[in-house]
Amino acid sequence: MKSLTLRNLHKTYFDPAVGTRVTAIQDVSLEIGAGEFVAVVGPSGCGKSTILNMVAGFLPATRGDIIVGDRSVKGPGRDRGVVFQNFALLPWKTVIDNVGFGLKMRGIPKPERDRIAMEFLELAGLSQAAERYPNELSGGMQQRAGVVRALANEPDVLLMDEPFASVDAQTRMTLQEELMRIWGERRHTVLFITHDVGEAVFLADRVVVLSKGHVLREIPITIPRPRRWDALTEDGEFKRLSAEVLQMVRAA
Amino acid sequence: MNAILEALDRYAHWAARWPVLAALAPFVPVVALWWGVAAAGVFPRAFFPAPPDVFQSFLTLTYKGILPAYLEDSIGRLAAGVSVGILLGIPLGILVGLSGVARKALWPVLLFFQAIGDIAWLPLLLIWFGFGLGTMTFVIVYTVIFPVVINTALGVRSIPPELVRAAQSLGAPRWRILTDVILPGALPNIMTGLRNGLGYGWRALIAAEIIVGTSGIGFLMFDARRAGSAVEIVLGMIVLGLLWYVVDAWILAPIERATGQRWGLVTRA
Repeated sequence: MKSLTLRNLHKTYFDPAVGTRVTAIQDVSLEIGAGEFVAVVGPSGCGKSTILNMVAGFLPATRGDIIVGDRSVKGPGRDRGVVFQNFALLPWKTVIDNVGFGLKMRGIPKPERDRIAMEFLELAGLSQAAERYPNELSGGMQQRAGVVRALANEPDVLLMDEPFASVDAQTRMTLQEELMRIWGERRHTVLFITHDVGEAVFLADRVVVLSKGHVLREIPITIPRPRRWDALTEDGEFKRLSAEVLQMVRAA
Repeated sequence: MNAILEALDRYAHWAARWPVLAALAPFVPVVALWWGVAAAGVFPRAFFPAPPDVFQSFLTLTYKGILPAYLEDSIGRLAAGVSVGILLGIPLGILVGLSGVARKALWPVLLFFQAIGDIAWLPLLLIWFGFGLGTMTFVIVYTVIFPVVINTALGVRSIPPELVRAAQSLGAPRWRILTDVILPGALPNIMTGLRNGLGYGWRALIAAEIIVGTSGIGFLMFDARRAGSAVEIVLGMIVLGLLWYVVDAWILAPIERATGQRWGLVTRA
């Protein structure tokens, strides 16, 4: 695992509708330690997805640096694994081939990458679905595959862009707990984008509230791990922190 | 009412078990009607042949070796033209689909030339290439290439950008994006283009054979007209229809079932 540092990140772009340059991200600096789980929350349009897209290398930053470990990065790379809101599994590859895709890109031979992919599928409870195509799976199962596809490639940091926003509420809670279990075992450095305050507080070591393209506040989440929804829904500390973050997001 | 539903139900079961017979069954009333009209003697037999006459002609021409030889010529020309059309059309379609500059530059030209029917080129082609394979190949390539280019380009554009991003962040280099994301993603549309292209190409070939011809199914039909043999013309028409059915059922449909339909990218017909 490596740390992820955003230093004075700016993003402006020309908006043809307004006819001027618009500032999407304004001087965002963020330090995510190795093995730390940071959630960024904010109302829609606050720029949280823009930040993730810049870190992932999908969008160029106007100014500022993105540093993984001690290396400044530009453009997409396998050091930053991405989990997408709409899963982004390749429909023409079976689940096991999707999970092994990053390994294939590294030139790892088929038997070896199938073995590794299978390990990760077991981790996500997907070994039965290995030979199926993504469209044959439920949304929850597709996103499990999306998560382990990123993990199987052994990224230095994991970027998650509202990964559980498009599954139903019950599945979402299950996926959040599974993510906690996996993260507890492997301690990835995670940048997690969400608009769901409860999700952010449940998952993260630290919640960053974003407003109009800049960091409003950072709140450390001190709730002990392992965290489970059954125990937390009535937990005083969880309620207090959720309320505090929610207030800030609504005021943002 | 119930009896009809029951009969339809039984037909559906039966059709599922015998797909070949199920494909032939709808032709039974068509042939029966044809036979009935011919037997009624409304038209002179020489102008309006009955099914047995056509079948007889099929046997004769097959026995003489004319039909197999002409069929081989036509299919060979189509295969050559279509192969060239695909080899040029798919890369061009991907270029147009991926590059905004190429699209802006080429799209109007593509639409313009697509609008000029293949047949409209024939007079000029005859001046350029004469009555030969060159003319016929050009016509087929010309006809096949536009639907392939246009549909390939649309297919490339329909790929969600997230899939390309996902592959990039998993470490895929550019050529891998092409082979593992762009090509399979565009495949259902490429198949549509191919289906259209093959259909147009087949018609263009028959037209070209009628005008240019020295052999082939189109030539067979046109030559029969000269001899006043309606029976061979009808035979030619039936061969054309059957051949298209074979291409569709044995080549195109299985590919589509194994790809786009399997991947959930297109709905089953």
